[in-house]
Amino acid sequence: MNSRKRLFIALFVAFITFSELAVAQAPSGIPDISGSWERAREASIPAQGQPPLKPQFMKEWQVRQQAARDASAKGAPIAERVVHCLPDGMPGMMAGPFPMEILQSKGQVTIIQEAYTQVRRIQLDKQQKPVDDVEPGFYGNSVGRWEGNTLVVDTVGVRENVRYQNVPHSKDLHIRERFSLGANGILRDEITMEDPTIFEKPWTFTFGYRRMPDYLLLEYICEDNRQYTDEKGIQQIRVQPAK
Amino acid sequence: MNAGKPMKYFRLGLAILAMTGSALAHHSFAVYDHTRTLNLTGSVARWQWTNPHAYLDIDVKDAKGAVKRYVLEGTSINMMQRNGWRSNMIKHGDQIKVVFAPLLTGEPAGLLLEVTLANGEKKELPVPAINTFKRTPDQVQP
Repeated sequence: MNSRKRLFIALFVAFITFSELAVAQAPSGIPDISGSWERAREASIPAQGQPPLKPQFMKEWQVRQQAARDASAKGAPIAERVVHCLPDGMPGMMAGPFPMEILQSKGQVTIIQEAYTQVRRIQLDKQQKPVDDVEPGFYGNSVGRWEGNTLVVDTVGVRENVRYQNVPHSKDLHIRERFSLGANGILRDEITMEDPTIFEKPWTFTFGYRRMPDYLLLEYICEDNRQYTDEKGIQQIRVQPAK
Repeated sequence: MNAGKPMKYFRLGLAILAMTGSALAHHSFAVYDHTRTLNLTGSVARWQWTNPHAYLDIDVKDAKGAVKRYVLEGTSINMMQRNGWRSNMIKHGDQIKVVFAPLLTGEPAGLLLEVTLANGEKKELPVPAINTFKRTPDQVQP
C-alpha cells in the first residue's frame, strides 16, 4: 500500500467516525414525530376508574354527570361548550376526535388539532413560568425537553372552566406529558394531571396515535351554528335559519 | 362461579361509563328519535356547508301547493370530506330524497342519515353510531 492510499483510508475512517459521532450528538437524533396523526384507540390506555377527585369535588362531578345522562335520556341534552363553537383546550384537544398535525421546528414543537383549529406551542428547553405569571387560557403555557427519545412536557395556566370530561381543576393544575414513538410507529402521549387542591392523587391516561402519511389537515371554522342553548341550558336546534 | 366475572362486568361498566363521558363531551344527537326514520323527497332550499355541522333545508309541497320546510342536521363537513363528500354535490333547487331521524319535539326537523342526490347517487352521512338509529320506511306525508 502506498502512502497516498494509506492517507485516503485514514481520512475515510476519520470521516465515518466523525459522521457517526455527529449523528449521535446532533438534534437529528431526536425522533421525527412531524406529520399528520389520528387517534389509535387500541393503543390508548384510558384512565382507571373515576377521576381521583377529593370527596367534596367527586360528589359534585357525579351529580353533574348523572344530570347530563338523565337529560340525554330524555332527549333534552345539557348544552356543551361546542354548541358555542368553543374548542376543547387542554388536555381534551389531545383526545381528537379529528386528525392532528405535529410540527418540529427550532426550539418548538407545535400541535394543531383539526377540530376547531386548535393550536398549542411547546417551547423547548425553556423554564416553566410560575402559574401566576401565565394568563389563563384554553391551552396554557407549555414547555418541553427531550429526555432521550421521550418528549417531556409541562403545561400550566389552563383556565378553570376548560374542563376535560367535566372534571374540575384549580388554577394550580399541572399537565405533565410524555410523548414516545414506538418501534411499531405508534406515537403515545401519556398524560398526568396533577392538582393537589382538587385531586387526591395524579390522574393518568394515555392517547395513542397512528400516522396518516398522505393526509393534509383540513380547515375548520365554526360558523352559523344552528344549535343553541336555551334559557334552561338545554341544547336546541334553530329550525328557522338566521336571515 | 368464576371469581373474575364480577370484575369483568365492573370493568365493562366502567368502559361504558367512560364512553358515555366522551360522547357527552361532543355534539349530542340525543334530540333525535332513535326508534324511527322518515323518508322525504323535496327541493333543496338551502345547503349550509359549515362546521360544527352541515344543514340541509328541504321544501316539500302538499297537494294544495303549500310548502313545508324541513331542517336537517348533518355532521362536521370535515368528517363528510373524509368520507368523499363535497360541497358542490348539492345545489339550491335540486330534487333529492333523504332519510332522517326526526326531531323528538315533532318540529319539521331531523338528523340527516342518507341522501339520494339529484344524479341518483346514494350517499350516507358519517354519523357516529349511525346503527343506533333504527331504520323504518315511513314516508313524510305532505
